[in-house]
Amino acid sequence: MTHTNASASDYAVSTHGLCKRYGRDTALDQVGLRVPDGAVYVLVGVNGAGKSTLFKLLMNLERPDAGTAEVFGLDTGRAGSEVRAQVGYVPDRQDAPYRSMTSARLLRHAAAFYPKWDHAYADHLTHALGVPPQQRVGGLSKGETRRLQLVLALAHRPPLLLLDEPTDGLDPVVRRRALALLAEHLADAPTTVLMSTHHVHEVESLADHVGVLRDGRLVAQMTREELRRTVRSYQLEVPDGWAPGELHAVELRRSSAGRDVRCTLVGEEQQVTQRLTASGARVRQVSTLALEDAALAFLSEDAS
Amino acid sequence: MTTTQELQGADGRTQRERPPVPRLRDVLRAQLRATGFALRVPVVLAAAFAVLATLNVVLGVISRDGVTNIHAEPSPLPGFIGALLPLAVWAREEHFGAGFLWTLPVDRRRHALIKVLAGWLWMMGGVALYALWLLVLALVSGGEVLPVESLMILSAPGRPSSPVDPALLQTVQWAPGLLIWAVPFAMATATYLCGSALVLGIHRPLRWVVGAVIVFAVASTAAHLASPLLGLGWLEGAPESVVSRLFEGRYGLEALITLRTWSLDTRATLTTGEVVQIWSAVPDLHEWVIAAALWTGAGLLALWAAASRHRERRA
Amino acid sequence: MLVTLDSRDDRPLYLQIVDQVRRALLDGTLRAEDPLPSVRELAGELVVNPRTVSQAYRELEGEGVIYIRRGQGTFVAPNIHPDRRERRPLVRGVAERALIEARRNGLGVEELVTMIRELAAEDGGERSPSTTAVRSGEEGGAA
Repeated sequence: MTHTNASASDYAVSTHGLCKRYGRDTALDQVGLRVPDGAVYVLVGVNGAGKSTLFKLLMNLERPDAGTAEVFGLDTGRAGSEVRAQVGYVPDRQDAPYRSMTSARLLRHAAAFYPKWDHAYADHLTHALGVPPQQRVGGLSKGETRRLQLVLALAHRPPLLLLDEPTDGLDPVVRRRALALLAEHLADAPTTVLMSTHHVHEVESLADHVGVLRDGRLVAQMTREELRRTVRSYQLEVPDGWAPGELHAVELRRSSAGRDVRCTLVGEEQQVTQRLTASGARVRQVSTLALEDAALAFLSEDAS
Repeated sequence: MTTTQELQGADGRTQRERPPVPRLRDVLRAQLRATGFALRVPVVLAAAFAVLATLNVVLGVISRDGVTNIHAEPSPLPGFIGALLPLAVWAREEHFGAGFLWTLPVDRRRHALIKVLAGWLWMMGGVALYALWLLVLALVSGGEVLPVESLMILSAPGRPSSPVDPALLQTVQWAPGLLIWAVPFAMATATYLCGSALVLGIHRPLRWVVGAVIVFAVASTAAHLASPLLGLGWLEGAPESVVSRLFEGRYGLEALITLRTWSLDTRATLTTGEVVQIWSAVPDLHEWVIAAALWTGAGLLALWAAASRHRERRA
Repeated sequence: MLVTLDSRDDRPLYLQIVDQVRRALLDGTLRAEDPLPSVRELAGELVVNPRTVSQAYRELEGEGVIYIRRGQGTFVAPNIHPDRRERRPLVRGVAERALIEARRNGLGVEELVTMIRELAAEDGGERSPSTTAVRSGEEGGAA
């Protein structure tokens, strides 16, 4: 096997210099996403950071202005239909199609497009998520529509799930049930997940990869372990007039009260501590951050 | 139960089959079902209309003790239905933007054409029922199935001066034969293709239709005003002649949906005081075949162009 | 067996699961040849990545604490006898966390040990921590 073959198949999703503009607005800027096969990759970013655009480009629903994207080694622009056959997609929009069909009829319709559709599993999901099968799609509540979209995405057991805010509009109980079903889904068959969510803490124990999108740029991308190891909160006691100096480059967030300074810094703990000590600060405590706090640190105002 | 083992396998390089794209025949079947579902309201309306029309005909037959013949002048109804049906087929479909249809694993241009095909198959079924309905009415009432019409033709060329001298008229037998049964199918197909191209290719087709009418009115007025000023005599009425060729010409829209029976005959008063239909010529089925072929061809080209707006690949 | 994860716990999730299984063995909630929940069940229940669960099970399997019977599931090893040696990693973990917490608050080791002794004396030693754990563990197992 040649090197290129190996690297292409190691990633479920990989993009190279992906750019997308809408008029003057830059939605995506040189995005190089790498989602390893089998990963649960969580994409973090504020609204308008480009998450939904990225999903649409991967589905070939829109065309990039520059760059390429591959899903399991298939170019999304050249093999759009083949790519979509690998994907279960929950779109950002929360309106279901064919409003006059019942949920059951819509599911039967969708089943025709996926030869691997698992009818029994679709029934199980419909039941577990509480989607009323005989209700017209147009009469479903926002949350019920979202649940129906989840069934549509999962029921053909695709190797890749693209979930754009999958738990948006769901109440907390259903959110947890949906994520539990997702965990079981992952146990049943090898599946790669790329998801965006506003509720990062909920996927804390599911995610093993994290990417942070900020103004269309992917400012951080690493494994959960790497994030835990290299993004930590340092509590310092500093002398009067202390300046962080070169540490500024790795600083994500800082708050201070008198001589107590708390800051979030990027880097191996040992090296960061050495540099802090050299700058005259005394490190009183170092603590790891929850996934959400670590990811959000990249979005704080101080982050460069 | 044994997921530990399975996951160990998943942690290493997984050798799995790629999920296949659906077979086109399954896509067509699914779209036939979905389109049929989308068309159920128009179908119910059509059925109600058919019942009323049947009642009307039956009552007429009973009261006047008459028969229902198949007429050589075809009804333009299939043509109108063909033109409007694409609106119903695509009504629930968000075909511009990231609609559900486009998230399915089918090449988008192909998918659009399959959906058009599904609508066409339903329409052909509908037209067949319509033809059958006519046939049954004619047979049951003891009428003619293959029409033969007696047309009064003005033997002298030019427009008939009113009142018309009956001596100038000549009666001709017109028997279009079996081909007359192909007319509703072909006209519906041609108008359906053109309508589909319009609906699929442009964002808001109704606005474009209204816009085209406005553009025509403005152009016509401008030509009328400008031709004496510029000294260009041919400009006067040029927009009208283009449009009339499109609609009433030898291969125009009217030829397609009425065999020109609208433009060829006029009502005239004879010197005897009788009012009759006078034809300037016998409708020509060969010309109609060419008109149908032209409109169908144009519709196919336009449809291909419209569907190509939704293609996957980057240019 | 009732596994609960603590989001404030700094350790990797799979180690938390490993520890909870060890604890269940010590307090008797889990005994030899008992079945463990499948990876799928536990992943769904805890909403964790199934890989985390299988990593924990692999770790336990490597230690000989559990074994996998093909097509039937995961079971506690037949010859498991929780003894002093098994308790050691658990005690160590508890002590480590207490020590970290003490340092975080600027307390010394001696102060901490003294206070633990005092508290235990106040309790009177009637409700030993281990019996409490057994009771709650059994409730959990039945649920």
